[in-house]
Amino acid sequence: MIAGTMAATPLEPTPGARTSAPKYSANRFSLSNIGLYLVIGVLSLFFLFPIYLIFLIGFTSQQYTIFSARPPLIPPALTLINLQQALSGANSPFLPSMYLSLEVAFFVGGLALLIGIPTAYGLSRLGRRLAYGLTTVLFVVNMVPSITIAIPISVEFIKIGLYGSPISIGIAQELLALPVTVFLLVGAFQGLPPDLENQARVDGAGRFRALYGSLVPLIVPALVAAFLLSWMLSWDESTFALILYNPASSATLPVNIFLAFTGRGSPTIGVAFSCIATIPVIILTVFLQKYLKGEDLAAGVRG
Amino acid sequence: MATFFQRHQNQLVPFLFVVPALVYVGYFAFYPTAQTIQYSFQTRILAFTWYNYQANLQSGLLTWISNTLWLTVDALTIQFGLALAVASILNRTFRGKTVFATIAILPIGIATVVAGFAFNQIFPNTGAGYANSILASFGIAPVYWLNHPWMALLIVAIADSWKNTSLVIIILVAGYATIPRTLYQAAAIDGAGPLRQFRYVTLPGLRGFIVMALLIRGAQEINIFQLADIMIGSYPQLLTVQIYSLWETSGGYPYIASAVSTVLLAIVSVLIVVVILIGGGGKK
Repeated sequence: MIAGTMAATPLEPTPGARTSAPKYSANRFSLSNIGLYLVIGVLSLFFLFPIYLIFLIGFTSQQYTIFSARPPLIPPALTLINLQQALSGANSPFLPSMYLSLEVAFFVGGLALLIGIPTAYGLSRLGRRLAYGLTTVLFVVNMVPSITIAIPISVEFIKIGLYGSPISIGIAQELLALPVTVFLLVGAFQGLPPDLENQARVDGAGRFRALYGSLVPLIVPALVAAFLLSWMLSWDESTFALILYNPASSATLPVNIFLAFTGRGSPTIGVAFSCIATIPVIILTVFLQKYLKGEDLAAGVRG
Repeated sequence: MATFFQRHQNQLVPFLFVVPALVYVGYFAFYPTAQTIQYSFQTRILAFTWYNYQANLQSGLLTWISNTLWLTVDALTIQFGLALAVASILNRTFRGKTVFATIAILPIGIATVVAGFAFNQIFPNTGAGYANSILASFGIAPVYWLNHPWMALLIVAIADSWKNTSLVIIILVAGYATIPRTLYQAAAIDGAGPLRQFRYVTLPGLRGFIVMALLIRGAQEINIFQLADIMIGSYPQLLTVQIYSLWETSGGYPYIASAVSTVLLAIVSVLIVVVILIGGGGKK
């Protein structure tokens, strides 16, 4: 079954589910729970430690971090020097880089909805076999190596002079954002009662009017989630952005980070940009958590 | 023919809504892929040649392939082990569950290059780094983490698993939700302990989800690029890192890099064929 909402399972339990859940040893520490919390503690440490490091290194003098033989885990003193050096100065790539990253991310999010809404609607109205086939096509697009696609695209864009433009990077990154957007929205459309569309069409609306007038307004939360997820994919993406990057103009934040840490740029830029690039995605991940559903990310798998 | 159209008439209009997406992925995904294969058999002068493959074979193509596959196996093992552990914990009820769920999926938002940087600082090849700081506080001598190819690949696999286990967790949590609680109760009544419940209830229930997650992550793992480039550079060399270095030094001519790209594509195609056979998650 294509990404339905029947078994929609956000990681966060819904309030209703929480109250109806069995109460066995849920709210008190028993002997068996100590073991559980120990495991949870170790796992949490594993997931959080690298994020802690990103900010530790960002706000500590480099002699205590990347240039130290025994870098301390607790900073001797906090400083803004890395951020100041990376962000200020006439030659700082920060503003153009940030601007390009934002332009591309908003373009990818917008295009995901522009193409994703009609695609998801069509898929949710198609017969089962055809819908499977088309879903598989989108799924395969997600599996083809980015670098395999990026080089010929780059050759084409060099020829037509669009090389390094936000649109060229965005169009390529859309290949990653579109499938997830479509899977997410198909689920949202399937969750609507079919009578809604029938009613609109009986009232004389064509399919387009029925879609954009009656159905789309009802799935706004899913649209927001799809937009933000696409935005985040683009914000983090660096393979297309690197191969399509024109050294004569600017690079996105992740590409600058990559160049900085592979000996092609200043480490200070890398250290500071890593912090800056990470702040919005942490907020977005927490916000998007309940929309990140396994069914959507695995193209509507059912066991 | 007439009956075909009559039979599928109500399919035509919904299909038209899908056409823009098909044109887009056709032009920007499948056409460039075909171009890569074509480039791989060309040079600036020759219209058809095996030269690109021969040259890459001599520079170590087989080693790049085996490194890529080892890394894939390492990384998938680590992240599926971790994800099964986390998902089975999240399947229980306990205080603080929401907080733990959030912590466990945070890495999904961190950019790959940033994750590569963080782990490069934990496990650098210099004998310094945060892992050695921790070892030093226990009086253990510094370890050169990347000295052996197998160790370097394992370290990259750990870093990659940090970044990508979240995705597997999300998919497996969805899988857990489809397993009826009554199955566990029945198994418990029949005297099955936690391990046997896992073996005979959880694993069969999760099978479809595990297969899809393996296919998605497997393809992405074979494509691992910048995380590895930041952490280990070209020792040991991976297919993607080699493609980028060939492309970067090619002066805009894609031919020699395309041969390695085509090999990469061929490996991923094995997984793509599996996806097509089981129908994009449509298996009932």
